[in-house]
Amino acid sequence: MKSRNPLYFAGIDLGSTMTKVVIIDEGEVIRARVESHTGAEHRRLANKVMEQALEQANLPFAEITYVVATGYGRINVPFADSQITELTCHARGVSSLFPSVRTALDIGGQDAKGLKIRDGKLIDFVMNDKCAAGTGRFLEVIAKALGLRLEELGSISLKSTNKVNISNTCTIFAQQEVVSRLSDGVPLEDVVAGLHEAIASRTVGMLKRLKIEPDVVFTGGVAKNSGVVKAVRENLGSEILVPDDPLISGALGAALLGKELTLKALEKGESVQKKERRLTEVTFFNQES
Amino acid sequence: MVTGKINHTEILSVAEAGLSKTKQIYQDRTRRVKELKAEGKKVIGYLDIYPVLEMLTALDLVPYRILGDMREPITKADTCLPTVVCPFLRSVMDLGLKGKYNFLDGVVMAHGCEVSEKTAHIWRTYLNPSYAHFIDTPHTTHAAAQRQHKELLKDFKRTLESFTGKELSIEKLKEAIKIHNEQRALVRELYDLKKPDPPLISGVETLQVMVALASLPVAEGNELLRQVISEVKQRKDGPAKKPARLLVWGSIIDDIALIDMMESIGADVVMDDTVLGSRAYFSPVALTADPLDGLAHRYLVELKSPRTFRETVLSETKRKDYMTDLENRFGYLKDYAREWKVNGVILQALRYCDIHGYEVPGLKDYLASIGLPSIYLEHDYSEAALAQLRTRVQAFLEVIS
Repeated sequence: MKSRNPLYFAGIDLGSTMTKVVIIDEGEVIRARVESHTGAEHRRLANKVMEQALEQANLPFAEITYVVATGYGRINVPFADSQITELTCHARGVSSLFPSVRTALDIGGQDAKGLKIRDGKLIDFVMNDKCAAGTGRFLEVIAKALGLRLEELGSISLKSTNKVNISNTCTIFAQQEVVSRLSDGVPLEDVVAGLHEAIASRTVGMLKRLKIEPDVVFTGGVAKNSGVVKAVRENLGSEILVPDDPLISGALGAALLGKELTLKALEKGESVQKKERRLTEVTFFNQES
Repeated sequence: MVTGKINHTEILSVAEAGLSKTKQIYQDRTRRVKELKAEGKKVIGYLDIYPVLEMLTALDLVPYRILGDMREPITKADTCLPTVVCPFLRSVMDLGLKGKYNFLDGVVMAHGCEVSEKTAHIWRTYLNPSYAHFIDTPHTTHAAAQRQHKELLKDFKRTLESFTGKELSIEKLKEAIKIHNEQRALVRELYDLKKPDPPLISGVETLQVMVALASLPVAEGNELLRQVISEVKQRKDGPAKKPARLLVWGSIIDDIALIDMMESIGADVVMDDTVLGSRAYFSPVALTADPLDGLAHRYLVELKSPRTFRETVLSETKRKDYMTDLENRFGYLKDYAREWKVNGVILQALRYCDIHGYEVPGLKDYLASIGLPSIYLEHDYSEAALAQLRTRVQAFLEVIS
């Protein structure tokens, strides 16, 4: 084992809103992490995000032993060796950050996932990917309507002393409701806290279908919002763990699973890369060969 | 068969093998019935699995199953059905309003679920077919319900006799039962070919056969089944061995897209419990002295569908405990799983399909109690949502493999 070249593993998580790349070495030390907006056009340019990560890690692409693509854009990544769903990757990534995790909640730009994890492995899951309500998109739309930056929402809501009830679970109608509450004279922080409560109660309700067991970890872009974190904690009635960087668990898990697949293949004496990789643009979802 | 007339079926069977013929019928369901109409036959459309097809066959009527089309956007049905009901039935109504079923000489529908009852009557009002019959199939299996069901079948018989001007004799009905039972036995034989690993016939191919059977007179369907079975047994290029062997349970699946998605990501769909699959065919009709007794019993009691309430028998403790109830309702799925060596179950329901949706929590508990992993998918009867369903199914396969 000692005489061969060092091995590196990359995970790329093509989410609806953000594209994340993590590169690790054999010792599972993170050599690079890059987060970039996916956007309508930029999804094709996921190779650029990978290039940034390679630069950060100071490695040529050929040195990367194995690449796993995950996330909703995972299907046609020409520079990936295999694709694994974001559910399995998140479970693996979260377990490496918090080995004690049994339940994970991930709220991303366009979906919310609940994961049940046992010994680092995914055993069950629930998912909402049909409706923007209860996802990051909901907060984006509302922040825009309020003329605020997304990053401001958390700290504003923490000032609330009397959060309002947002009764509409539909993003579009909630937006109208917010405007009407503000025109009724309700303070901004109480309205924003009410929105966070709406997201938290909805997603915790979904999570409860899995029979929640501690430790509970909260990840995804929405976990960066301290107001939602507080509301999720209150709705669960228990402590939750949030990683320092809640965005990368999927990409990290993908890289770790890439390592496992590689080591298994090496043990059996099989070749690791089974198909040709090209560090080029991602093609569109349904043009699978 | 030596006759002066050219037999179209025979020509087809020489030129094409069973599976390719099946695919052609799947792609153009109406071709054969339109030929039969040109020969003077009458074609009766039916919805769901509760209309008693033996009566149609006995009177030389061609039964033709009314299906939806998930590739056709629903644009007309919203004028007469709410948007928050079964998308399959909305599609059915939409196709009806667009004239896609104008070739039918009549329809028979039944009280499968509440929305299918509404659809039956809205269909009659809006499309005014020259023959329309509704069987108000009971929703329980008590003795009184069984007696009532037999009376309802007598009504059905009377309206068919008046429509055709012919008497439906007991002998003809018994003959029809035999030929339909033959089809049921052949379908079982076909499903037996899914028991080996890898299965000899894929889930996609099986569904194509099922759709073809729903588009042909029963005798021609039996002939097609024989051809398919013999071809499948001989061929060398059947499905590959895959990590997962799935059972798919739930609402109607009448398009290959969903099964194809599952089979393209590492699963063989080896068994089903749906109304265009085993559920429609696995129970034969008992040959009783009065054929209506066997028919009434089969179509109410023997057909296993969650649309029929079955009172749970009391256990030894005289209490209706949860697990005994689940065993009564879902025990047959345990047998399927064992016989077809299933290692995962896909529970799928169309959105707003209450009939199946309400079964899911209990069924999930039951499957967990016998150690079978399952996943529940709710979908919209459209191709658009397949990418999201694919992520769920793929994650499920990653969990069970």
